[in-house]
Amino acid sequence: MSCDKSCEQRNGRRTFCRACIGAMTAASAAMVGYPVASFVTSQPSRIGEGKPLEIPLDQLVQGQARYEAYRGLQVIILTTADGPRVFSASCPHLGCAVNWVGTDAQFHCPCHGAVFSSDGSVVSGPVNEPMKSIPFEVKDGKIIVSV
Amino acid sequence: MRIIKTIYGWFDRRYNLTPLIEKDITKKRVPKTLGWAACFGGLSFLIFLVQVFTGVLLLMYYKPDPVNAWDSVTFIKSNVSMGWLVQRIHTVSANLMIVMVLMHMARIAYYKVYRSPRELHWVSGVVLLMLTMILAFTGYLLPWTQLSYWGAKVGTEIPSAIPVIGEDIVRWVRRGEAISGETLGFFFALHIWIIPATISAFLAMHFAMIRRTGISRPL
Repeated sequence: MSCDKSCEQRNGRRTFCRACIGAMTAASAAMVGYPVASFVTSQPSRIGEGKPLEIPLDQLVQGQARYEAYRGLQVIILTTADGPRVFSASCPHLGCAVNWVGTDAQFHCPCHGAVFSSDGSVVSGPVNEPMKSIPFEVKDGKIIVSV
Repeated sequence: MRIIKTIYGWFDRRYNLTPLIEKDITKKRVPKTLGWAACFGGLSFLIFLVQVFTGVLLLMYYKPDPVNAWDSVTFIKSNVSMGWLVQRIHTVSANLMIVMVLMHMARIAYYKVYRSPRELHWVSGVVLLMLTMILAFTGYLLPWTQLSYWGAKVGTEIPSAIPVIGEDIVRWVRRGEAISGETLGFFFALHIWIIPATISAFLAMHFAMIRRTGISRPL
């Protein structure tokens, strides 16, 4: 045996055991870590979000806007003399939620002062696009958004 | 490895941790005469930690209201990646925890370890057993299945046998006349925070007392 002390330390039983324990520790850590990581990063639930939005027409008041949540979006149901209109509440400028101001019959964005008319077109402010309107249907006395 | 040693060394130079760790963990001497049955207490604690860990994970997706509770548990079991595993570990470990606590107590009773100076170890242990059972009972309602609903209904009816105040206790536990969303919310609060916090406090006392008196050696 021509193995000196440092060589024994490199190749000895102790090193081997240490490597084995390290490998087992790593394997155990992976066995816990992988399920936990994949659990935590899994897609959140969509419970209650898949259903269409249904609002009875008799609950809507002319000249008023109603805010509803639909599939993670905030939508505005505005009732005008020509019937209901549905918009995304998100301002096309930078995404703030716009407010319906009944006295002016206009939408005002609180963030940068964009103003939209009741059909969603731009009146003034730092924005070029109109408000995004959302298709809907009226059936059995209800307004249904299912897109 | 070296980086861990460097970080540990930084703290050790300032707070002198090594003697503490050696005294309480790495060089702690356990009587040779203790057999494998002495493990049940430690196993109960280990399972408690598993329950806390998996419970925190389940909280990320669970929704504690009557409309969504069942759906959210089903969602965890069938849609969340590895959710079936986490949920199953949580339910199976709940049963195992009770088994381990009872085995631990059976050993203590058999060897008469509860005698002076360790009477309060036993008393705190009995409190821990009851808290464990409340934990299991409140957790049973949370998936909001038929089984859990009727389990909670029968379970909460038991105090009504107490004369005079029994009915009031039932109403208080149910947060009303029947098992409802209020009951679910109450059990949820008990299950995820109130009982685990109380258990942690009693565990700390339990362990501190054992360290103080030392472990009892079989003859």
